[in-house]
Amino acid sequence: MMEGWEVFIPGVCGFGLHFVFDGFRLIYTLIAVLMWMVSGVFSREYMAHYANRGRYYVFLWITFIATVGVFLSADLYTTFIFFEIMSLTSYVWVAFDEKPESLRAAQTYLAVAVIGGMVMLMGLFLLYSCLETLEIQELSQAAAALARGEKGKLYLAGVLMLFGFGAKAGAFPLHIWLPKAHPVAPAPASALLSGILTKTGIFGIIILSFQLFAGDGLWGLLLTLLGLITMAMGAFLALFSINLKRTLACSSVSQIGFILVGLGMAVLLSFAGENPAMAARGAFLHMVNHSLFKLVLFLCAGAVFMKLHQLDLNEIRGYGRNKPVLKFCFLMGAMGISGIPGFSGYISKTLLHESIVEYQKALSEGVVRVSGLTNGVSLLSALEAPAAGLFLSQGFWTTAEWVFLITGGMTLAYMMKLFIAIFIEKHPTRQEEFDRMGREGREMNKSSRAVLLVPALLLPLMGLFPAFTMERLADMGQNFFRNEGLSHAVAYFHWENLKGGLCSVGIGLLLYVGLVRQVLMANHHYVDRWPVNLDLENILYRPILQTVLPGMMGAAFGLLDRYIIDVPVSIFLAVSAVVCRGMDHLADGIILLARRTSHRQVREKEAVAEHDWEAGWKKTGRLIMESFSFGLMLFCIGLCLTLGYLFYVFWTG
Amino acid sequence: MAGSMYLGFLWVPALLPIVGGMILLFLSHFGPLAKGWEADRRLEIYVMALTLVNSLVLAWLIAHFGNRERLVLFRLFGDLTVMFCLDGMGRVFAGIIAFLWPLAVLYSFEYMKGEERRSTFFSYYLMTYGVTAGIAMAGNMTTLYLFYELLTLVTFPLVLYPMTREAVRASRRYLYYSIGGAAFAFIGLVFILSFSVSGTTEFVAGGALDLVRANEKRNTLLFVYVLAFFGFGVKAALFPCHGWLPKATVAPTPVTALLHAVAVVKSGAFAILRLTYFSFGTAFLKGSWAQWTVLCAAMLTIIYGSTMAVKEAHWKRRLAYSTISNLSYILMGAVMMSPLGLVAALSHMVFHALMKICSFFCAGAVMHQTGKTHIYELDGLAKQMPKTFACLTIASLSLVGIPPFAGFISKWNIAQAAFELGLGQGLVLEQDGGLSWLGLTAVAVLLYSALMTAVYMLTVAVRAYFPQFYSVPAKASVMQQEKKPEKAGQQDRKSTLDPNWMMLGPLIIFAVLILGFGLHAQPFMDLLMRIGGEAG
Repeated sequence: MMEGWEVFIPGVCGFGLHFVFDGFRLIYTLIAVLMWMVSGVFSREYMAHYANRGRYYVFLWITFIATVGVFLSADLYTTFIFFEIMSLTSYVWVAFDEKPESLRAAQTYLAVAVIGGMVMLMGLFLLYSCLETLEIQELSQAAAALARGEKGKLYLAGVLMLFGFGAKAGAFPLHIWLPKAHPVAPAPASALLSGILTKTGIFGIIILSFQLFAGDGLWGLLLTLLGLITMAMGAFLALFSINLKRTLACSSVSQIGFILVGLGMAVLLSFAGENPAMAARGAFLHMVNHSLFKLVLFLCAGAVFMKLHQLDLNEIRGYGRNKPVLKFCFLMGAMGISGIPGFSGYISKTLLHESIVEYQKALSEGVVRVSGLTNGVSLLSALEAPAAGLFLSQGFWTTAEWVFLITGGMTLAYMMKLFIAIFIEKHPTRQEEFDRMGREGREMNKSSRAVLLVPALLLPLMGLFPAFTMERLADMGQNFFRNEGLSHAVAYFHWENLKGGLCSVGIGLLLYVGLVRQVLMANHHYVDRWPVNLDLENILYRPILQTVLPGMMGAAFGLLDRYIIDVPVSIFLAVSAVVCRGMDHLADGIILLARRTSHRQVREKEAVAEHDWEAGWKKTGRLIMESFSFGLMLFCIGLCLTLGYLFYVFWTG
Repeated sequence: MAGSMYLGFLWVPALLPIVGGMILLFLSHFGPLAKGWEADRRLEIYVMALTLVNSLVLAWLIAHFGNRERLVLFRLFGDLTVMFCLDGMGRVFAGIIAFLWPLAVLYSFEYMKGEERRSTFFSYYLMTYGVTAGIAMAGNMTTLYLFYELLTLVTFPLVLYPMTREAVRASRRYLYYSIGGAAFAFIGLVFILSFSVSGTTEFVAGGALDLVRANEKRNTLLFVYVLAFFGFGVKAALFPCHGWLPKATVAPTPVTALLHAVAVVKSGAFAILRLTYFSFGTAFLKGSWAQWTVLCAAMLTIIYGSTMAVKEAHWKRRLAYSTISNLSYILMGAVMMSPLGLVAALSHMVFHALMKICSFFCAGAVMHQTGKTHIYELDGLAKQMPKTFACLTIASLSLVGIPPFAGFISKWNIAQAAFELGLGQGLVLEQDGGLSWLGLTAVAVLLYSALMTAVYMLTVAVRAYFPQFYSVPAKASVMQQEKKPEKAGQQDRKSTLDPNWMMLGPLIIFAVLILGFGLHAQPFMDLLMRIGGEAG
């Protein structure tokens, strides 16, 4: 199963780094190289006017190495190390222009990255303690060999790691960083953040789903539910946004939802005893596609931003007219992501859709069994009944299919909104200026234009000849998903399959005409209906992390400090001061008595000479002496207690 | 091993700096050189030479001295002897101090430049070196206790050094806590003496207690262990005996950094390791209620320290709270009572020493160059002090536990030890789920603390790199009140404020080491594993 090269570097970073090179990793390394080359070349023009671009380039390439490290890793330990490096170095991209909103977004990004990373680390600890291996290839065997009673820990480890990987992928409810970080980061960086950094999270989720929890019904259901919520919510947000890059960021969230649904369906299908290949291949191809879509789309957005320094649709509308290359590239990306037949997005979405249909078919044939759902973990037993209900409910899966189709429609609707606004409508005042830039070919330079065309041309090529391109890719990658390939070839352009795609297209057109033009526009002006008050970060996460958690703990410990420690200490000090004073007087009395009686001294006047000392020093000295005496007294108490006990021991024999 | 020939050399690292420090103290107060030495380079050369020679001797001893050899210095009476040896654990601790002391001395030359009473400061600084070396090399509990008390006495004048009202209060509190704690530790000493196999307090890997006799008085002995644990825990800033540490930050930064982040607090942790693994023994303690008590105390301290650090705005005090929390990481590893626990504790002891001294030195460099002490004053300072803040960033990331830095390795080990304990013991809350509450609590504590560490360390770095980060007006008004406008105004305009090589050198060395240990810790961990195998 493990073909290709393996590299093990022992001793580095504790456990040693372990890399492997197989089909899936080859594809993703190549995509990473392509993406970094394209955005690297594009950055030359985009960043030309920024002062501290040196910093940007340094972190660009460190992140490249770290990202490739993640994709090549053969054990989760290596994955984690590169994952963390990648998270931290990409923080600098987001904070790049140092404006207040960038810094706030960067703070969010950093917080999500650090929290996600730490939670994931805890998951790794747990995983390692119950499996005693982190080698990706050995996980499934170790998990299968695990005693039934230990499964609970495995689930906990899995959920913790899902939290970490999901945070990076942008899955609900940790998607908060995407709509904030993307609009403020430089466009080539946004392309990479959205196109490939989110995929490292998906990479981890694939490992969890196909190694640790292969064929585990609950896990599949969890992923599918998360995926459905993520894709619908992302698409809704994208529809309401009027900021070009924010729309694209929300679209990323939504597409990640598609991928998660595919992964969840693959797990569910193998749980139901069906061939999971279709779902797994769909998810993988959608990953690849989404990387390319977002590369093209974000770079197009960058081409707009670097000339206008605006992202608001009302400000940039009409900019794309008379700019054929830009228009072509954006159109390819938009059609691809919307799943128009003939483009690559259609292929992957068809596979994903088919996998839901297949599960429904299995359900109606009655082959789905739901016994042993919880693997005997009693903590999860409460979930057994509702989960089983969902598994068997026809209504739920019909709803899921419709959510899928409607989200596909929304994708088309928001891409149409962008395309029509930028490339077809006219700007009320600056149209003349925009057109002149297009005629003179000033919208971007030759090298940017050339590199942008490369991924843009790939999309229709892949979509038109799926058998030569996408099927091959999926064949290469499927080992990673541990499945055997399709049981029957999929006829993508057959009516049965076209129906789903066309259904989405229809919904999309309806939504555009009915919702975008009617509700989201007023007086030929795009209205910002971004739900500011529904920001999970502001209403939930920030208050909890910044106020509630430290506040509660701080108050609790403040009270402890005050009442458990300070009060007894001050009581003790007060009592001991009185006692010390008393003993002092007693000692003085004895000395006085001695002087008057047996130790009569003649020259008493010399003792007064100490007035020459500096007053402050004297005071300090007294304080020191007091402290010493107090410490010695404590010492004596300890000594007395011990001696008393020893006496007691000797007394009783 | 050519050890036996050089057996006599073992007293050198402990006594040389003590004697040297006393001579310096005597000369500067009464001697003819007193006035001249105060501002002179000769003071620096004398101190540096003594420190270096001592470190070299210590390093040589670490490399060549036999594991089993013991040097009896003198007998107090009967079986109570003052005895030195250098076993694996002692080597690790001695190695830390032998490495850190010369660098810290170099740093403090620059930091203390132009201060009054420098010779007093350096004489006590030297003496502390000797006393700490004595703790590292102590061969029995009596010697350890002796040097432990001495450590309080020689570091006390260092806390008192600024002679302000605050410093006097802090030093008094330090003294109360330390000597009071030592009294509890003394109880432990007496019990070990009367219950050990040999009738002495000598350290024996795996425990010195006579198990037959000890088990008759099991509960009493366990109680004594808890008492002694908290007694030594005073120096390791264990909650609720931590009160002195944040207050003691009034001392000059070289003191806070080396003593209150490394030497003194680690002496407490080291004494606890000795107490647990070499005196009472894990066989006696493991699984008892005493273990759970001290484990809970350690976990509580971790939470306490990291929470209070977030709430603290004074930079050095924040680091002190961070020390409280991190010291309990060591203790948490220690009370796992397993070889892996000892390895985890020792590795965090070494790595935390590097990370914390690096952070404190950065804080000190900022204080020294700009006079800024609070975190809200640091806005944008990283542009002016790029090298300092690069080191700080590395130390911060390492403290949070992010790879590839050293802190990650030790945190990994601590968590592994915790899980091992959770699995090995019978305290499984829910048999069929296989979830032991201890493993989960440890995970939760580590997670909470890691998040809080990220908040309290990274906010400093982020503020310094990206100014106007928190444009909250309330903070600004506080800043207006507390900043000394004329001084800050003048120095902000300078292009770079990085300190000179004497301060920067140690910082960079620490940062490189943190990265180096993080990247390639295997040889070091193997070494610790051998020690853990001997003692656990």
